[in-house]
Amino acid sequence: MTEIRYRRLLALYPRDFRQEYGDEMLGVLMADPRPGPAQVLDVARGAVAAHLRGLWIGEGRAARLVQIFGAMLLFAVASRRFVGGLLATVNHFDQVGWQNLPVTSSVRFVAWGVALVAALLGWRLLGAAGAAAGLAGEVLTPAGSYVETPATVLYAYWLIVSAVLVLIAGLVADRGPVRPRGWQWVAAAGVVLVLQGRLEQSGSSGPYELRWMLVLVAVALAAVAIFRQEPRLRARLLCWIAPVIATVPLVEFGFAEFIVYNMGHPESTRMISPLQWAVLVVVPVVAFVGASVLDRRGRVTAAPGR
Amino acid sequence: MNEPTFLILTALAGESRHGYAVTEDVEQMTGGRVRLRAGTLYAALDRLRGEGLIEVDREEIVQSRLRRYYRLTAAGEQSLAAETARLREQATIAEGRLRARRADFGGATA
Repeated sequence: MTEIRYRRLLALYPRDFRQEYGDEMLGVLMADPRPGPAQVLDVARGAVAAHLRGLWIGEGRAARLVQIFGAMLLFAVASRRFVGGLLATVNHFDQVGWQNLPVTSSVRFVAWGVALVAALLGWRLLGAAGAAAGLAGEVLTPAGSYVETPATVLYAYWLIVSAVLVLIAGLVADRGPVRPRGWQWVAAAGVVLVLQGRLEQSGSSGPYELRWMLVLVAVALAAVAIFRQEPRLRARLLCWIAPVIATVPLVEFGFAEFIVYNMGHPESTRMISPLQWAVLVVVPVVAFVGASVLDRRGRVTAAPGR
Repeated sequence: MNEPTFLILTALAGESRHGYAVTEDVEQMTGGRVRLRAGTLYAALDRLRGEGLIEVDREEIVQSRLRRYYRLTAAGEQSLAAETARLREQATIAEGRLRARRADFGGATA
């Protein structure tokens, strides 16, 4: 093979890898006495590995933050329903018994509590168990009413995606106890979410705009925690939350007609089709990969050499 | 530790070498059984550098092309020593079992 062909082959590698090793690799490739398809395949495989490795650098630290911050917020959301149900049970036990405190709600509350403690202590196995149980709770809660109201799955979609991310992040995160920078902001966001939930559950006591404003305040507080991180970590965190952000326009625009139809036709409710299920699974993955590719490109442009 | 990694670290344990010299040494060590290709070699070198097991020793320009020499770090030496001990232990177990097996068959090879 000629040098030009080898150079074309090396173009498969990420730019930073090529800048670091391209010249050396070219020398080794040209000296290799066995050119041919196996050599091309080996270079292509190495290029794929280099791309994947580039995406993965520093992921353990970012994953740890995702695990902690995510568990904090999911615990706050789980607390809303659990605390509301608990208060209703205590106040009206004679009339309603335990019906305001469903098992899934309690399991979800305990599970995210366990996941949060494990995340702070850096206990991977316990964190995975807590997050898996929490994810099961997030799935089972809308699943119970899916047949009557399929849109409940869509309303809980962002929670399910968040739970999956926290579970994955916990499995790949760095170990050991840590108190991340900006955790107070996320804790404040959690408190606001709990208050917002109480307002929602108390029915007419709060204006609609105020409830949404509180959600925005919680989002802003969480955003402050992210922007308080160092730039590299911040960029990776944004990649991790891209799948959750993607759920909002997907449900808002992709499923608006579906939701409106079902609201107007309770006698002939439409179920989510296999294609729509596939979209719900694929979009978060694409969002993560797309954000990671953009992040990597930005990194290479910012720092062309090593 | 996979075999190419073990062999690369072993090649660099002797002296600092450039990429092509590593492939040649590995081929020699294994009697021609393993000949690392460029993709595999540089994926491993990049990963080992990232893990701090090897580092760049020096660079030179040969025929207007960069030639970089790599050497084992202290962490690399420790890692190679640990892997060598592990392999030796396993080889000893295998040897012992093979000896016992031959004894069971009355000294005849099965």
